[in-house]
Amino acid sequence: MTIFPENISTYGQEIDRLFYTISALVAVAFVISLFVLLYPLFNNSAKRVKKATYFTGAKRKHFRWITFALVALALSDFYFLYAEHGAWVTIEQTQVKPDFHVSITGRQWNWAFTYPGLDGKLYTPDDIVINEMNSELHVPINKNIVVDLWAKDVLHSFFVPNIRLKQDCVPGRMIQRWFKLTKTGTYDIACAELCGLLHGKMRNFLVVESQEKFNGYIDSLYKKNAPALTMTNPSN
Amino acid sequence: METPHSTTHAPQGFWTKYLFSTDHKTIGIQYMITGLFMAAVGGFLAYVFRYNLAFPGESIPLFGQLDAMHYNAFVTNHGMIMVLFVGMPFLVSGLGNLLIPLMIGTDDMAFPTLNMMSFWIFLVSCLVMVAAFFVPGGAFGGGWTLYPPLSASGYVNRNPAFWSTFFSATPMFILGVALEFVSMLMGGINFLVTTINKRAEGMTPFKIPLIVWFLNIATLDFMVSVGPLVAGAVMLLLDNVVGTGFYDPARGGDPVLFQHLFWFFGHPEVYVLLLPALGVMGEIIPVFSRKPLFAYRTIIYLSLIAAVLSVVVWAHHQFIAGIDPRMATFFSIGTIIISIPFAGVFLSFMATLWGGSIRFTMPMIWALGFIGLFLIGGLTGLYLGSSTFDIYAHDTYFVVAHFHYTMFPVVFFGFFSAVYFWFPKFTGKHLNHTLGMIHFWLTFIPFNVTFFVLFFNGLAGQHRRVNEYSSFSNIMKEPYITFEKISTIGAIVLMVSQFIFLYNLFISLRKGRKAEKNPWDSNTLEWQADSPPVHGNFNPYPVVYHGPYEYSHPSSEQDFVPQDNPIVLKTN
Amino acid sequence: MAEQTLSVSLKQVPQGRLGVWLLIVGELIIFGSLVVCYLLYRLRFPSWVEQTQHTSTFYGGLNTFVLLTSSYTIVKANDAALKKDLAKMSRYMLTTIFCGLIFLAVKSTEYAHEIGAGFTLTSPGLQATNPVGATFWSFYYIMTGLHATHVLAGMVTLFVVWLDARKGRNIHRVELGGLYWHMVDLIWIFLFPLLYIAK
Ligand code: HEM
Ligand SMILES: [Cu+2]
Repeated sequence: MTIFPENISTYGQEIDRLFYTISALVAVAFVISLFVLLYPLFNNSAKRVKKATYFTGAKRKHFRWITFALVALALSDFYFLYAEHGAWVTIEQTQVKPDFHVSITGRQWNWAFTYPGLDGKLYTPDDIVINEMNSELHVPINKNIVVDLWAKDVLHSFFVPNIRLKQDCVPGRMIQRWFKLTKTGTYDIACAELCGLLHGKMRNFLVVESQEKFNGYIDSLYKKNAPALTMTNPSN
Repeated sequence: METPHSTTHAPQGFWTKYLFSTDHKTIGIQYMITGLFMAAVGGFLAYVFRYNLAFPGESIPLFGQLDAMHYNAFVTNHGMIMVLFVGMPFLVSGLGNLLIPLMIGTDDMAFPTLNMMSFWIFLVSCLVMVAAFFVPGGAFGGGWTLYPPLSASGYVNRNPAFWSTFFSATPMFILGVALEFVSMLMGGINFLVTTINKRAEGMTPFKIPLIVWFLNIATLDFMVSVGPLVAGAVMLLLDNVVGTGFYDPARGGDPVLFQHLFWFFGHPEVYVLLLPALGVMGEIIPVFSRKPLFAYRTIIYLSLIAAVLSVVVWAHHQFIAGIDPRMATFFSIGTIIISIPFAGVFLSFMATLWGGSIRFTMPMIWALGFIGLFLIGGLTGLYLGSSTFDIYAHDTYFVVAHFHYTMFPVVFFGFFSAVYFWFPKFTGKHLNHTLGMIHFWLTFIPFNVTFFVLFFNGLAGQHRRVNEYSSFSNIMKEPYITFEKISTIGAIVLMVSQFIFLYNLFISLRKGRKAEKNPWDSNTLEWQADSPPVHGNFNPYPVVYHGPYEYSHPSSEQDFVPQDNPIVLKTN
Repeated sequence: MAEQTLSVSLKQVPQGRLGVWLLIVGELIIFGSLVVCYLLYRLRFPSWVEQTQHTSTFYGGLNTFVLLTSSYTIVKANDAALKKDLAKMSRYMLTTIFCGLIFLAVKSTEYAHEIGAGFTLTSPGLQATNPVGATFWSFYYIMTGLHATHVLAGMVTLFVVWLDARKGRNIHRVELGGLYWHMVDLIWIFLFPLLYIAK
């Protein structure tokens, strides 16, 4: 059993690593606390110790072990905050040069995908829109993919466990995120924010494929959807 | 010395004595019984949807089929009921009413009629919540966090039947919660005024027992944080009922605004529940270690700091809700910082055990169980306080497991510790020890079984509020399918074993061993009143000479010194 | 010891006054939150200025005057109550309640005008042309409406207090009712510039 689903993004392993870093700290803290809790229980039961030692802990001197522990906790907390900050910036605050730009709209109850049409630009009349349950989002491997996240009706949350990316989609806003994927295959796209009756059935697929296959896919879409090219972005 | 006058006109009739009573003890018990009833409702809902998660599509014993719509409604109401209609009456209103006047040595609350009214408003709010299940289409199902636009009207929901349910049930849900707030605010004013104004002679601030401090800090925290949500809820109600656009982006409204208002309350709310539970531990641990509470004053300062910090960390529930990423970093730091004062409080409790002479009575065992479980809850909070990891963990079962590891110990272990400790005081009877032990182990173990496995489901990517996972076969595979079943079996055992507790209450009330005034050799004032205390509590009013935790003082014969005992303690 | 003096001086505040103070703090936080939400939206939508043109500064100003007067009369009533001058106290209390009535009457006329002009909680007419502007009116009505219910509540409170106090019973409640009335006044003092003056 592996703890996480397979990672396919360039930044996913940083989140996994962060998990193990925090786990190490948590394990140490847990063992120490458990010892502090259990030791007196075994050692100081009323049967063994008839009379307790009077000790108020009011003096700063008495508190020093706790101060020490708190400082250690604070330091390790800040250590991992510091350690994780890079990953946060990578995922949330980085503008990458897009190799491929696609718009994704959450709606009750599926994700709708909008690819740029022949002009290579999004939000123009020749965009290709795929808007049905269980449909696929195709993206090329090893490319910077920039996604514009929209919501049409209520809140949704774009969640691909294998990328380690989750982002709420808010009606009336566009939120941009990016990823670069390193493995071909088909993965789940879920919606992680309660969005009504069929929230749990809101599932689409992410298909990661080589650039050639991807180009073929886009061509076929273009052929199939030619008459419907005037469709506009569902979020408008 | 003044003599209490109220002893002379104790109400006699059944109605005034048990139902429309203004006596703080009766009202406290009324809150607890109502809370128990609501816990049964919230627990039953949990049983139904937990069963559905493990055995999707099967008919649920005692219930039947559960569809997606009812699943959502049940999860939503389970959450709201457990937090506001079980946690609050158990820990804040219930304990506050029972204990504050007794522990500060007075006859009753400052405003007894207001107190009675707040209970009745609370009861009405419970009825509204339960009644909402029976309106056409069933209860509200938009999540206990009530996020608009889903919870606000004006949005075309493509299933018309579903839409109508939202329309009729949402206002009721909001109304129920609003009434609860009104009741808590009225009760809170009472707590604060009583504590400030009615303390026994000699009870200076640092002779007040920890739990009274904590109840008051919790009340203040509640009163300060609830205002924004009240304002937000009024706007949400209008969005629903008359179709305004406060949260409608098409009309300039901002859905994320509501999230801020909700969590500005929602986060302090967990401390509102946590503080009284910690207070219970702060009373129990010194008594059964026969030692002063370690660093009593420091604990109070630390929790005041935590209460102040608690209103500036709310957005850690919204790391990925579309807020500015730099803001998230700020709230991440705040969240980590707030863990430090609470860690200090917990370490002080553990330090109290060191060098003690520990008695493993029922209340003590529950208190130790609480600390053990909360340790896991608190430490897993460190993962979620890190905004980066939260990108992945947010809205998965990792979060569900984490907050149950905090909320369940707080609400139920806090409640049970308190009941096992103060039951002799308020009924004059002891609870049965053997039944109590069975109850403890049959709660502690199944609780861990239920929720520990869910951490792994969450890490595997399983997201919340989904009634069946058949569409996600990549996530929901072995061993996670088995984990779901294990969790459900744990939950069922957990719930069934609560009947042991009810039976214990029942049998001990009738046949329990009689309890004397001060069965645990405790210092605080409530133990110096009769068991059960008469109407008016004390005659004459006590005068306070000592702090609440003078156990095993070297200059005293006895290993405890009641607060109203005039002997002089030599400090060295 | 400082700690002792603090606790003793707090203990000398009568219970009722302490209770009303806490109630006022609670209410102010609720109104304060509404005001903050309003300000956030207002900063985001400069175009709301257009809508504020339609609120009547005249009626608003008149009502401010009425409420300030009533705050003065309730202070007078309390002075009289302290001097046990029941007749005078009773007169001033009734004047205060009457001012409340005038306030509500003015407010209703104002609402009637606005509703006549198509500005309501939802402003359906406006929604088609200027949906964002319609939300200004939602805020306008929620804030003034909640305030008006507080005026009403204050009037009822004062009336109930008056029923007893005019016979010399529970005179100290005049002060408590007065504190609440001042709060109602204070909230208006915030709403008036926000909704009527800042144009
Ligand atoms: C009796 C044992 C309990 C069991 C078996 C249980 C089980 C669960 C489960 C499985 C969920 C997640 C459902 C989902 O996301 O689909 C849940 C949600 C929740 N539970 Fe519990 N729970 C219990 C007790 C409590 C207690 C004591 C509290 C708090 C005081 C609590 C508060 C909540 C909240 C706030 C939610 C979130 C509701 C929402 O998503 O809207 N639960 N519970
Ligand atoms: Cu969704």
